[in-house]
Amino acid sequence: MLQIHCPYCQGLRSEEEFAYGGEAHIRRPADPGALTDQAWGEYLHFRKNPRGLHRELWQHAAGCRRYFNVLRDTVSYEILKVYPIGEKP
Amino acid sequence: MAVSPSQPWRLAVGGRIDRTKPLRFTFDGRSLQGFAGDTLASALLANGVDVVGRSFKYGRPRGIVGQGAEEPNAIVRLGTGAASVPNLRATQVQLYEGLAAHSNAKGGFKRYAGAAAGLLPAGFYYKTFMAPKGLWMFWERRLRHAAGFGEAPDGPDPDCYDKLNQHCDVLVAGGGPAGLAAALTAGRAGARVILADERAEFGGSLLASKLRLNGGAAADWAAQAVAELGALGEVTLLRRSTVFGYYDHNFLTILERRTDHLGLVAAPQEGDPATGAAPMKKARQRLHRVRAKQVVLATGALERPLVFANNDLPGVMLASALSTYVNGYGVAPGRRLLLCTANDHAYHAALDWRRAGREVAAVVDVRPNPQGALVKEALASGIEVIGGHGLIEALGGRRVQGALIAPLDAAGLRLAGPGQRMDCDLIACSGGWSPAIHLSSQAGAKPHWSPDASAFLPGTPRQANRSVGAAAGTWALADCLRDGAQAGAEAAALACCGDGLPPFQEPRIAWRGTASALANEPPEEPQQALFLAPHPKPVSRAPKQFVDLQLDVTAADIELAAREGYESVEHVKRYTALGFGTDQGKLGNVNGVAILARALGQDIGATGTTVFRPPYTPVTFGAIAGREQGELLDPERRTAMHGWHEAQGAAWENVGRWKRPWHYPKPGETMRQAVDRECLAVRNGVGILDASTLGKIDIQGPDAAVFLDRIYTGGFLKLGLGRCRYGLMLKENGTIFDDGVTARLAERRYLLHTTTGNAEAVFAWLELWRQTEWPELQVYCTSVTDHWATAALAGPRARAVLQKVCRGIDLSATAFPFMAVRCGQVAGVPARVLRISFSGELSFEVNVPAHQGQRVWDALLEAGAECGITPYGTEAMHVLRAEKGFIIVGQDTDGSMTPDDMGLGWAVRPNKVFGFLGDRSLSLADHQREDRLQLVGLKPLDARSVIPEGAQILSTTDVRPPAAMQGHVTSSYFSAVLNRSIALAMLKGGRRRMGETVHCPLTGGQFIAAQVVNPVFYDPDGERQRA
Amino acid sequence: MSEQANAAAVTFRREATKGCLNLRGDPADAGFQQGVAAALGLNPPLPPCTFHQAGDATLYWLAPDEWLAMMPDGVQSEREEELRRVLHGHFSVVDVSGAYQLFRLAGPDAQKVLQKSSPYDFHPHPFAPGSCVQTVFGKTTALVARHPSDVFDLLVRTSYADYVHRWVAAAAEEYGLATEAASHP
Repeated sequence: MLQIHCPYCQGLRSEEEFAYGGEAHIRRPADPGALTDQAWGEYLHFRKNPRGLHRELWQHAAGCRRYFNVLRDTVSYEILKVYPIGEKP
Repeated sequence: MAVSPSQPWRLAVGGRIDRTKPLRFTFDGRSLQGFAGDTLASALLANGVDVVGRSFKYGRPRGIVGQGAEEPNAIVRLGTGAASVPNLRATQVQLYEGLAAHSNAKGGFKRYAGAAAGLLPAGFYYKTFMAPKGLWMFWERRLRHAAGFGEAPDGPDPDCYDKLNQHCDVLVAGGGPAGLAAALTAGRAGARVILADERAEFGGSLLASKLRLNGGAAADWAAQAVAELGALGEVTLLRRSTVFGYYDHNFLTILERRTDHLGLVAAPQEGDPATGAAPMKKARQRLHRVRAKQVVLATGALERPLVFANNDLPGVMLASALSTYVNGYGVAPGRRLLLCTANDHAYHAALDWRRAGREVAAVVDVRPNPQGALVKEALASGIEVIGGHGLIEALGGRRVQGALIAPLDAAGLRLAGPGQRMDCDLIACSGGWSPAIHLSSQAGAKPHWSPDASAFLPGTPRQANRSVGAAAGTWALADCLRDGAQAGAEAAALACCGDGLPPFQEPRIAWRGTASALANEPPEEPQQALFLAPHPKPVSRAPKQFVDLQLDVTAADIELAAREGYESVEHVKRYTALGFGTDQGKLGNVNGVAILARALGQDIGATGTTVFRPPYTPVTFGAIAGREQGELLDPERRTAMHGWHEAQGAAWENVGRWKRPWHYPKPGETMRQAVDRECLAVRNGVGILDASTLGKIDIQGPDAAVFLDRIYTGGFLKLGLGRCRYGLMLKENGTIFDDGVTARLAERRYLLHTTTGNAEAVFAWLELWRQTEWPELQVYCTSVTDHWATAALAGPRARAVLQKVCRGIDLSATAFPFMAVRCGQVAGVPARVLRISFSGELSFEVNVPAHQGQRVWDALLEAGAECGITPYGTEAMHVLRAEKGFIIVGQDTDGSMTPDDMGLGWAVRPNKVFGFLGDRSLSLADHQREDRLQLVGLKPLDARSVIPEGAQILSTTDVRPPAAMQGHVTSSYFSAVLNRSIALAMLKGGRRRMGETVHCPLTGGQFIAAQVVNPVFYDPDGERQRA
Repeated sequence: MSEQANAAAVTFRREATKGCLNLRGDPADAGFQQGVAAALGLNPPLPPCTFHQAGDATLYWLAPDEWLAMMPDGVQSEREEELRRVLHGHFSVVDVSGAYQLFRLAGPDAQKVLQKSSPYDFHPHPFAPGSCVQTVFGKTTALVARHPSDVFDLLVRTSYADYVHRWVAAAAEEYGLATEAASHP
């Protein structure tokens, strides 16, 4: 059971309050129509599954409903960073 | 041995029991007596009950070995029927008046194992029962019965359970000397502390210790510490509470047994009508879900038994357990003790036995020349010490009657001479101590083998914890207290309180022997490792040398596994079942690993130990469920009109968490009759539906229209004020996610409807795009699902009914057209009325704030009375919309359907400026296939036959494989207005197959033949809803 | 441990309907703050998880750009109009009066009832009077606000009100629970 610091509510909250949003920093292509089927398919379906550091999207679903990014170690489950959408430290 | 209720093995004095409070109990139907303060195990021993169970595989008699969580043999069931509790360790059951315990004795597998009876080697399941295929099922039933797994309760549990979320700075697991010291320093520093111990009393080894602390009994020091802790406001003391799980981010679980010691079912106390107080029912057990900033693991250590031939005979027990029974409970279960050890500490057992006035046959010490203080103490007490010897075989039938001892070589691996028989009726043994590293390991630390301690010690912590005391391989009391205090202070400093903590006054420790007066705690000499006592016969031929008593795993089994090529300790565990019991090998694992290491010719550290997983001891399902059962298992969402529906006798349909009226049967009506009546009322008169459960989202901002334009397949930029539009929401892969009507309320304000089940997912979806992808859009989304109560009036008379109670809205068809929204007053309440229709009839959806819902509903019913207004439920709603070919997302779609598949291509506007979510996927090759499943209508040739929903569709009635599936039926009803059965289906290339006859196979070999038709069965031009 | 048969160590009351407005806007915009203050008589609280109370209105922080204004039922429409009149630019006001049921939970063991219901830490050190938090409650969610003297307000979605009532009744049973009729506005 993770404990995640919500950067907006400013506190450590239990995992039950959050919804996992998968890999972070997946940008929607600016012009999907210009993409080949394969390139569009990669945007749709291909996600990283690293052993180690992983950038993830989380939503504080039961709290302020804000989305934010989390840098988490998938081996130790340690959370190294929590940072807002639009940034990538 | 004859057993009488006079407690033959109870000492006249001593023990932490209350001899003035006798308690009656039964064991396998025999009436016995113990005292308040006893455990079931101590009471059984006091009564001379030697055999407490039969072993798992071999059916051998077994007695009590341990005194706590480690007990492998004395596994009992308490009570019978619904309130019974299986799989309890008698050593952890506190005795209460009327306790009824049942052993798990069934005689073992051997009774059933037939040809394999003589052997039952490692891997015997695989070797014996797996072939021929299918026979395992036969054996499994018998084996499970024979093995004595106990009986499951046979009815709903009458007790209640709950959960409590806890937060603390420092959680201390274990209330022995190290844990008490840690809790004291952390608590004095002002930290929020939780101290939990699995026993009824805090103090651990101090309770039965003969050491003196600050001149008083060790137990008194513990009591003072507990009193001080209890007075600290931020300290929570949890007795009878096992920290059983250690999960990520310092999340730990504790099982607190709150009433188990009082009896099986805690009687509820009376309520008080005067004050309105409800009757109280105390939870039998409570699961504490703890988030701790820092953790101190002071879980102690478990003594390791010795492995020798016939070491499972009743009358063989752990040395420390014997001390506990003598000192703690005043029970001396025998006359003449033989103690076998490889360390000094176990000498306490012989000294305690002697002090109880019993005879010690000898202490057999594996070490050639033991010289420690306790050894000298034993010698001075007249106890014979036989160095350089080992106990190689226990003798006896249902109880120890003697033992064979023999000289060993220096390493303790081989016999150095012939054996000799010793007379005794009790054997205590100690192979050293295994720190209870379970929680440390659960928290991710990898245990490492310490040759000096002859034990696995906690590895480098992977979370915010520290192990102290015996759990860290620290044995001397002074060291445990000092380390515990240090750990508590350090944890508090890290968690909350900073440095500069008050110092810990270490108590003066004194030991008063019988012969010599030792000033301090007696120092101990190094122990020697002994994991398997040699025997004149090879291991495979010697009498059984048990490693895991609960699952009957022998040294020979482990050696056999090694010979058969198993090298990984995890594989050997699974092959032999070592450590697979409910005790998880607390006693046997280290010996098993050591025997495996020797068989493999490697050291123990390289062999390693198996991974520890929660729970440390078994946990009841009740505690895991807590209050989340019955009506609290899953929340029931109710609309504002719920009570009215209930009063009408509505049958309910669960939609997500919502309770929706399914239909309203009148007395004597079948469901079909009720639904037909409700449908015809809507088609011919007027019906009223509680539509409150639809998801509703208010969208405001300058970019609201742009936002909706991107979310939905249709265009929203040009939607007129006060108008509504049907929208399809796609996932990025082009499949339908949700649908609904959106109304434009103002220049910059929209109201979006979602399906009932999807409301929260759609809301999260909107926020996802708004926040992560398009933060530049100025738009806010607010859920208003719960704000509005919605009554849908549907039918040709709907306008006439609404007219009577509506003010401020011109309801005429020209002023208020189909797909429009107006604000006004209904029954005097400000209302938002939408002219939208899911039935295909003239329809007004009246929305008012939820707390006004019932009032407005009542007014509409009254207004409609003369038109025969008929409440209709979700089943009629489904039939009405199916007659119109309207789909339900999630019923007619399954997450793989595109708009075109559902015949909804008209709702997709491909040339929008931005495009919309999912648009790119619609042109993928797979979405262009001509044989995709497409929505069609089906008319059964027999108009009375209703095809079961989910039925497959075939082109022929030939079902021989490979029968090509053509599709499936998604919705199917009897249509009262059409007086025939109808269905919606997904059919391969369906739109090109109109008129074709298809066949739906039923169970039992029948078919329903149906004609493929347009999915709009009724009013194909939509005249009625625009009326 | 106060777990004796103590008459009504927890009281639980279903309050009458409140006027509720969901309010969105940019807190950095001075005009937004002033407008809210002018219309509701109190400033939107800016520290996360806090609330302000003045006159007949309470303003709860929900998110960095979101607040919930609570007031007696009946005045919300005119306050909404007033907000729309004084606020400019990008903002949102939504009447959500029907969306919430307010409960009041009080008594020495009220915090324990909360602990049985939510993983949030309700200890008065982090969660002092004047704090409010949106969190998991049983199997739904709630806004919990703390007043002095072990008094808590519990704001739950209307459709979950009966569930929450039963949940709290079960959780509080052992402490001695008195349920009171709804107070009048």
